[in-house]
Amino acid sequence: MVESFFDEVTGCLTILVKGRFDYSCHKIFKEAFTGVTKVKECRVDLAGVTYLDSSALGMLLLLRDHVGAENEEIRLVNVNSAVIDILKMANFHRLFDIAE
Amino acid sequence: MEQVLTILIADDNPSDRILLKAILSQFGHNVISAVDGQDAVEKFDPHTIQLVCLDIKMPRKDGWEAALDIQRAAGEVFVPIIFLSGVTDPIALSNCLRIGGIDFISKPYSPALITAKLNAIVRLLVMQKTLEEQRDAMSLYNEKLLNDQEVAKVVYENITNSNCLKDSALSTIHYGTHTFNGDVILAAYKPNGGMHLLLGDFTGHGLSAAIGALPLADIFFDWTKKGFLMRQIIPEINARLKGVLPSNMFCSAAFIDIKVNNKSIEVWNGGLPDLLLFPQNVSKPVRFTSKNLPLGVLSPDEFECQIEPMSFASGDRLMAFSDGVYEALDLSGKMFCQSVLKPLYDGEVDAAQSIDWLTQQLEQEGVLENPHDDISCLSVRLDTSIGIDSPEYKVSKGHDETPADFSFEYVLNADSLRNTDPLPYVLQILTTVPGLSSFSSQIFMILSELYSNALEHGVLKLSSDKKNSSDGFSRYYEEREYNLANLQEGYVKISVKVTSENNNRALILYVEDSGSGFDFQSVNYDISNTELLYNRGLALLDQLCSKLEFSKGGSAVTAHYHWQVGLER
Repeated sequence: MVESFFDEVTGCLTILVKGRFDYSCHKIFKEAFTGVTKVKECRVDLAGVTYLDSSALGMLLLLRDHVGAENEEIRLVNVNSAVIDILKMANFHRLFDIAE
Repeated sequence: MEQVLTILIADDNPSDRILLKAILSQFGHNVISAVDGQDAVEKFDPHTIQLVCLDIKMPRKDGWEAALDIQRAAGEVFVPIIFLSGVTDPIALSNCLRIGGIDFISKPYSPALITAKLNAIVRLLVMQKTLEEQRDAMSLYNEKLLNDQEVAKVVYENITNSNCLKDSALSTIHYGTHTFNGDVILAAYKPNGGMHLLLGDFTGHGLSAAIGALPLADIFFDWTKKGFLMRQIIPEINARLKGVLPSNMFCSAAFIDIKVNNKSIEVWNGGLPDLLLFPQNVSKPVRFTSKNLPLGVLSPDEFECQIEPMSFASGDRLMAFSDGVYEALDLSGKMFCQSVLKPLYDGEVDAAQSIDWLTQQLEQEGVLENPHDDISCLSVRLDTSIGIDSPEYKVSKGHDETPADFSFEYVLNADSLRNTDPLPYVLQILTTVPGLSSFSSQIFMILSELYSNALEHGVLKLSSDKKNSSDGFSRYYEEREYNLANLQEGYVKISVKVTSENNNRALILYVEDSGSGFDFQSVNYDISNTELLYNRGLALLDQLCSKLEFSKGGSAVTAHYHWQVGLER
């Protein structure tokens, strides 16, 4: 399940993912950021994520491509240790700011 | 929804039959009349008749029996049957529906009711027809798709498979969730002995995942065959995948270079679970953790290639698997990495049986019946014989007898030594010599030994003593990297001369470096494996060449390689 909020004032886009973060989230995750321009800051909240697969990693790369055009950092927050392991295996800590 | 139907009516009562025929004809339908059930069965043709109306009570064959016969004759074609009845007994009427009638019309006939029912039936028929057409189109499409996939699968397998995978040192398992597998295992012999191995896992599953494997395999095989090194091949694969794949697709992979001449492996891990090396004298496996981003994520200028070297002894084993294994769920719903794989990591599983053990675990935990991800695993028994005299290179010799006579000199100064690997280019020229390409593995081996001695011991002044311990081994390679990156002066000169005389052909390789040489006088080839011999690969060179001569205090060496053409075999 994916929810997103965009704060027009601060330019902060928050994407909240819950449950299994896999291909089934693809469409809605993409919609969460494609419609939004002038993103100054981006937070992806993974607090409710129980599992994440390689297509989820691919979605994060898409987000980075989209938001990264303005050279803004993307923060992955509330990441639990199982998900951190997967992100680290792919060395994604070099592309994203990851916080527990 | 006006549609003209061909309707078969059967009624033994002439007046009822004629009345119904008149009503139906009035709406423009074609009507065929039968006088009883038997007559109706005989007149029924599933290809022309779209609706059947049967009186229930008839001589010779009643309406119910006729209905069953007609349904049998219709086979797969849907022909609705309506019963005509003067009776109002609910059991008799419900019998009509039970045996497959879709409706009944009570006598005496009401034209208004008949019109309404016919319209409903026409709607039903139109819907049925649309469904049948869609079903046929779907099954045709599916058949075509499967056929296309089969063809594509053959091409895919031809490109991603090499007969090296059958090498007795290798064991692999490979389970796909689809016809196409997003995991690939590639293996290729290097021209100077040893092997390159790659286990890759593309994002997603099925065809879209498999398609990225084509450029990957293409570069892997082509560049390995040409003698390029792992650290040259990986960035090239990354650049190509970055170029062709959409940005949400990439390939987690491990690349393994088995170097037989100095008994070592080099491992590059980008996004796969830890690779495990099982040395025979150590209880726990050595782990090679992912230190790189997967292939196809970073642009070529951001890409870094972190490679870990490690020495091995013959009989040690190396194991790699995709995250389909690592993240598989056991029966209690726990991931393999947290439960089932523990004995493997703790060294409690016999390394030689590790693949069988893993297959058994996957079966026991029900993963193979219902895999969520492609699963692949490879295990290789490390040995110095891998890729040496492999059948692939046993090409029939002596077909090409055209004489060759040329020479060239290739001098690399500091800048080029830092940035170029000259060997593939030199080898490419040498393989143009008629008949020499069948010996290319030996030539490449000689060439690479001479060059690495000149570069590492001559120019970079590294001492080979360091390589003796496994700890020193990785320090040796760190120092090599460091010294090479900071190289300001020095040179390696490679001179090549090819001559032909009658049936005799000779290749003379002369390699000179800017270093201070070494005590070559003390080299004694009779004693197998003095440290110097072993570390500088001199024993190997001595075996391969017909003559090996040192000059300039050991900073220059000449290797003579002879072969003959036109021999009876």
